[in-house]
Amino acid sequence: MTAIADRNQNGRRKWLERAVPYLLVLPVAIYYALFWLRPVITAIIGGLTGPEGGLSLENFALVVGDKGFWPALRNTAVITAFSVTLEFFVALFLALLINRKFRGSSLFLFLAMVPMALPAATAGAMWITGLTAHGWINSLLQHLGILEAGGKIYWLAGSQTKLVTLLIFLDSWQVIPSVMIILLAGLQNIPPEMQEAGYVFGGNYMHVLRKVTLPLLAPTIQTAVILRLISAIQIWLIVVTLLGFSRLPVLVERIVYYHREVGSLYISERMALGYTIIVAVIVSLAALLYLQVSGAFKRERKE
Amino acid sequence: MNGKTANLGKLARTTTLYIVVVAVALVMMTPVYFIVQLSFLSIREAYSFPLPMLPALNSELQLEHGEHGYLLSSYARTTGDFETTIDTADMEKLQVYLKSQLAIPMTLQEIQQQVERLETQDVVRFTRRKDLLSNFRTFFSVAGYNSIPALVRSLQICALTIVISLSIGGMAGYAFARYAFKGRDLLKFSVLFVRMFPGVAIAIPMVKILAQMNFYDRPIGLSLVYAVGNIALTVWITASIFMGIPVSLEEAAQVFGATKLQAFLRVTLPLALPGLAAAAMYAFLGAWNETVAAIILTQFNPTFSVVVYQTVLGAVGQVNLAAAGGIAMALPAVVFTFFIRRYIHQMWGGVTI
Repeated sequence: MTAIADRNQNGRRKWLERAVPYLLVLPVAIYYALFWLRPVITAIIGGLTGPEGGLSLENFALVVGDKGFWPALRNTAVITAFSVTLEFFVALFLALLINRKFRGSSLFLFLAMVPMALPAATAGAMWITGLTAHGWINSLLQHLGILEAGGKIYWLAGSQTKLVTLLIFLDSWQVIPSVMIILLAGLQNIPPEMQEAGYVFGGNYMHVLRKVTLPLLAPTIQTAVILRLISAIQIWLIVVTLLGFSRLPVLVERIVYYHREVGSLYISERMALGYTIIVAVIVSLAALLYLQVSGAFKRERKE
Repeated sequence: MNGKTANLGKLARTTTLYIVVVAVALVMMTPVYFIVQLSFLSIREAYSFPLPMLPALNSELQLEHGEHGYLLSSYARTTGDFETTIDTADMEKLQVYLKSQLAIPMTLQEIQQQVERLETQDVVRFTRRKDLLSNFRTFFSVAGYNSIPALVRSLQICALTIVISLSIGGMAGYAFARYAFKGRDLLKFSVLFVRMFPGVAIAIPMVKILAQMNFYDRPIGLSLVYAVGNIALTVWITASIFMGIPVSLEEAAQVFGATKLQAFLRVTLPLALPGLAAAAMYAFLGAWNETVAAIILTQFNPTFSVVVYQTVLGAVGQVNLAAAGGIAMALPAVVFTFFIRRYIHQMWGGVTI
């Protein structure tokens, strides 16, 4: 009698033991379901519902017909493509150059983290006070003698191409240091013997870089680039801070514009939802495409 | 001979390294320097062009008899001359002007003293110390900005976010570190998943969901949203922390008669504390810096970041106030980053997708 009870208890304990990790993970699952999956599904359903209810693609038709849509798509694509490329290559160059311990390296790394730590509102304050005609950038240029006394450059005026270029540089200022830190951390994890072996077999610097360092750095590069890609497509706050709504439309700016600025309009909620779905699809596609092209999936399977 | 060229090569490399390091540091720090110095300028200084490269610590002032009473001038470094600022016989007007435009606090008595000197001489010159923190005082005391209640709300939001993400994410992180189970990879990729759907896109449907729960426009509502992004990170950070603490320690405690839970609470948790503190600071940073969802999910009770953001937008003229708000916003973020810089470095080093 007691033996059976014992065995039962034993079985239950074993079952409990096996359930422990799932019980520990369960809160995360519930939390994601409530506060991530639910709004996501709500957004998707809202995006696919027509004005009279029922499945409909009318919201997307509305969005495509919006006069800001194509410029927003183009601007977002240009900003993303150029900023991610520029940021990656400059950051990689700097990381390779700085990849060694030097006097003051920990101070330098902390300084590099400052732009990353700056809240969006602070970064906005920094650039808007700098880029106005009477701002600190023009003042600095005058003090350095680059601009003649009283001369001004109107940074925030001019063509869309100029503004897009400006935004790419502002974005790079904030992002390059953090990408550099990620890549540096990755570089320092590569055992130096690997590179030494490359030199022993007669490779020059470029050889070793191409055949040894970069392949070993690949996972880190993927992490850095994909996180950048995802957030670059979602750029908007700095655009609106500097230029206001509708001056240089980008995709996420459109969502906020329709939700917040003209929220009282009858079609604006549907516009906002339509844009939301489109942005989500673009971000996911870009991320998956990048993972596929860069071979992250293949590596995952090998492991 | 060979050794000499090698030395020269090394010297050249070191020199290049330092040139690049200094150049990069300069480019990174110049904008930061200017926003800091702008926050110390008086309105008078902030309106001059070109802007001064350093905030003045003192201000030279000059009093004369004017058409309407007393003529007050202040020394402008850009022109190297005294510039007329105000002409009035009203002492209180003078006091207000000195305080608000020139950031010079003076009592009525002190002004009176200087004015009395005019009886014996035509021009009175004196130097006063400038109140460097006057922009910060204005930013926090002017009721229109509502910055103090917003600051309190932001701190509440940060605390709630830390509690939610550390408790829920920490449990999962422990499971991740100690057990092999199905769905482990899914959890690993969730960091990416939750980021793929734009934050703004989640915030908009959340307006309705939070309103149903009666959480809209309240700190708890925002922290529920912030925790979504933070939990994934917390799982990663805590998992790496727990992996670094040997299981054998827990087992040893169990040999001495502790239950599994006791072993965790008495042995592992204290060892993990510094790392958990870093994870908490990380959650703080995320919640403190966030502006986008906060704009959408608040109406009458904005967070501190929203208040600063609105000051920035409305303050193209009030450059110095926008700068002060921006600095007040950035200070905790930079300080916490300083504390967790080792962990950030470590985390990125260890993280691969």
